[in-house]
Amino acid sequence: MAEQEEWTGTIGRVLLGATRGDGGTRSVQYCIGGSRDLPFLPGEAPCGKRPLIALEICDDPVLWPPVVREQVGDLAGDTAAWAREAEKTYGADLVRLHLTSTHRRQTPDPDGMKKTVESVLAATTLPLIIEGSSDPALDSEVFQRCGEAGAGERLLLGTAEADRYRSIAAAALAYGHAVIAQSPIDINLAKQLNILLREIGVPVDRIVIDPYTGALGYGFEYSYSVMERIRYAALKGDTDLAMPVISAAPDSLTVREVRDAAPADRQERALSWEFHAAFPAAVAGADIVCVRHPLSVKRLRDACSALAARQKGTPAQGGG
Amino acid sequence: MALKALDIYKLLPKKNCKECGFPTCLTFAMKLASGKADAETCPYLDEATKQLLKGATRPPILRVKIGVGERSFAVGEEIVLFRHDKSFVHPPGILFLVSDRQTTDEIRRVATRVKDEVFPRVGELLRVNGIAIRNDSGSPEAFGKAVRVVEETAEFPEMLIAGSPASMEAALAECGNYRPLIHAATAENHGAMCSLAKRYGAPLAVRARGADALRNLAGTCAAAGVQDLVLDPFPETLGEFLITSTLIRRLALARSAPELGYPVYLDATAPGLEEAALSLGILKYAAVMVTTPRNPASLLPSLTLRQNIYTDPQKPIQMTPGIYRVGNPTRGDPLLLTVNFSLTYFTLLGYLESSRISCFLLLVDTEGFSVLTAVASGKLNENMIRDSLQRFGVEAETGHRTLVLPGYAAPLSGRVEEATGWKVLVGPRDAAEVPEFLEQSWKKAPGG
Repeated sequence: MAEQEEWTGTIGRVLLGATRGDGGTRSVQYCIGGSRDLPFLPGEAPCGKRPLIALEICDDPVLWPPVVREQVGDLAGDTAAWAREAEKTYGADLVRLHLTSTHRRQTPDPDGMKKTVESVLAATTLPLIIEGSSDPALDSEVFQRCGEAGAGERLLLGTAEADRYRSIAAAALAYGHAVIAQSPIDINLAKQLNILLREIGVPVDRIVIDPYTGALGYGFEYSYSVMERIRYAALKGDTDLAMPVISAAPDSLTVREVRDAAPADRQERALSWEFHAAFPAAVAGADIVCVRHPLSVKRLRDACSALAARQKGTPAQGGG
Repeated sequence: MALKALDIYKLLPKKNCKECGFPTCLTFAMKLASGKADAETCPYLDEATKQLLKGATRPPILRVKIGVGERSFAVGEEIVLFRHDKSFVHPPGILFLVSDRQTTDEIRRVATRVKDEVFPRVGELLRVNGIAIRNDSGSPEAFGKAVRVVEETAEFPEMLIAGSPASMEAALAECGNYRPLIHAATAENHGAMCSLAKRYGAPLAVRARGADALRNLAGTCAAAGVQDLVLDPFPETLGEFLITSTLIRRLALARSAPELGYPVYLDATAPGLEEAALSLGILKYAAVMVTTPRNPASLLPSLTLRQNIYTDPQKPIQMTPGIYRVGNPTRGDPLLLTVNFSLTYFTLLGYLESSRISCFLLLVDTEGFSVLTAVASGKLNENMIRDSLQRFGVEAETGHRTLVLPGYAAPLSGRVEEATGWKVLVGPRDAAEVPEFLEQSWKKAPGG
C-alpha cells in the first residue's frame, strides 16, 4: 500500500437523456461513470464532479411517505406538475418516476401509464428514470409502454432483477434506453445479473448497478460496504462490475424514528434520516443518489459539492 | 516497514533466557510481530535494535485515550482502510462545542445534555462522548472559568481548544489531571504546548494543513516526548479532509510514516454542512470530532450512522436467545419465532409495538444471522427449533402449541411440524405485515 493505490480498471460511462441533437427533447445529457480512483480522490475524474441527485415522484401517492405528501400537498395528485417542480423549485438533476399505480391490486391501465410518462416528459426537460411495475405479470406490457412513450429520450428504466430482467431489457434495447440492475446487497449477485444482461444483448454502457440500499439503522452498513466493494473490484479490473451505481434508500422516510418523532421535529428527523443514507452512498461511490423528500435535494447537493471541492470556492458541476 | 516474526527473530539474542517473560526468543519474536510485546523487556538488545523493533512492531495507528473514568474513550488502533476488510475498531468520539464567551447557564445546559442525553437503539445506548471548550475570549481567566463550569456539572471527556499556551495552562489547572485533549500544537506554539501535555500526561492534538506539514510537526512533538498525539489536518473543505485523511490512513497502515500513525481529528462545525462533515468523519477515518450541540432530531441520525459503520461486518449485533414478551401477553396469545439478529428483532418489535399487539417472541440462536441467511445456511432448522421450544419451556408460557414462522422460513414448515409436533403457521416475509397477519390469521388458528 502506498500513497496511491495502483488501479487497472475504469468505471464505464453511461449516457442518460437525449438532447435534440441526439434525437430526444431533454435540455441536457449526463455522462455518468468514468472514474479511475476511489470516490472524490484526486485521481478519480475531471475535477469537481459530484454525483447526480434524482428526486423520486410517483403516479399514485397512496403508499408514498406521509412526510413527503405533507410537503408537496396538491402536487402529489398531479404527476406532471410534481415533475416540473422537481426541476424548477427543488433543483433535482433527474426525475425518477415510480409508476406506483401498478402496485395496487387493480386492473393496470397501460394507456393511462403511457400518458403519464408522456406528460412527465412534457413537463420537465430533465433526463428521466422510470420505475415500472413491481409485478412480473405486468412487466412485459408496462415496460413496453414506458419504453415506447420515451423512445429516443435515453431513459433509465428500472428495475431488472435476477429472476425478471427480460421484459425490461427488451424494452431498453427496442427503444434505446439504459436499465437499472438490482441485486440484494451482494457483490456476487450484482456481477451475475450484469453477466445475464450482457448475455441477452444489453451493452455494458446501458447498465447501472443498484446494489439495494437499506435505510440508515436498518442494514445501511451492508449496502455501504457493498458499494465500496463494487468500486474497489471495478478499479482492480473486474469489468463485470465496472458500471456506474445508483443508490436509493426507499424506506428512509418511513422508519420508526421518523414515524414516532414529535410532530415539531418530524420533518427535520425525516430529512436528516434520508441524508444519512444518501450522503454516505455518495461517499461510497454512487453516481446517482435518489431522495424522496424534495427538501433533501439541496441539502444533499450542497454536501456533495463541498465534498467534490478540493479548495474553497471551486464550484462542483453535476454529472457530465 | 512491518517486520515478520522470523525477521525479528534474526535480530534477537537467541539465548532463550526467558527474562522477557516468554519461553523462547521465537515466541517473543511472534509476540513482537503482533504488537503484543515490548522490545524493552529484552535486556540483551542494543539501543539501535530496540528502536528499530519499536518502529516496526508498534500498532500502525497508536491508541489514544481521552478522559478518565466511565465515560472515557479510546481511539486509534485501526487496522484497515475499508470496514469490509475486517472491521473498524473504535467509534469516533463526538464532542459538543461550547465557547468561553457563553454564559455560565448556557455552558451548563450543554454540559447537562452531554451528561444525561441517551438514545437507546438496537440494544445499545447512543450518546455524545464529551465536550470541547473553546477559548474564543482569548482570556485565560474566562477559559479557566468555563472549564470549571463544565467540571462542576459532570465527569466526561473534555477537549480544550486554545491557541495561547497561557490560556491552556489556566484550563489545565482546572482539569489537567483528567486527560483532556489539548488542541492544538501548531508551528508557532508547539514547544509550550508539548511542555504542558507532558506535565499533565494529557493527549495533544497537532494542527497543520496537509499530510506533509502534519508529519513534520507530529514528528517534532513526538521527539519532544509527547506520546499521545492526535492529528488535525486542518482542511478547508470536506473534499480536502477526505483526501488528507485517506492519505494519512494509508501511510499509517503501510507503516511508511510512523509520524502519521495517530488518530485523526475533524472540526465538524462547518456552517450549513455540519451533518455532512460528521457523516464524512464517521465514514472516512476521523477519530475525534467536534460539533455544535445539535438538535436531537438530526443528532440521532449521526449517532446511528456511527453505530452502523462501526458494527463488525463479521459479527452482527446479536440478541440473547430466549422468550421475549411484547406488551403484556397472557396464555393463548400468539407465539412468533424469529432469529437473534438484533436488527430483525428490533424491526419486528417496532411494528408489533406500534400496533399494540401482545405476543411472545421466541428468539432462536442463529449466531446473529438474518432469517433469510439462516435458512440458506441451515443454521435455522427443525431440530434447533425443537430444541429451543424445549430448552426455553415455551409451552408452559404460551399454554398452546401453535408457532408462527417467518415467511422466509416457509420451506421449513412441514419439517418443523413433524419434528416438534406443534402446529405451524407461516407468517409474512415483511415485518411490516406481521400485525395484519396476526389480526387475520391468529384468531382463526386452532389453539390460538
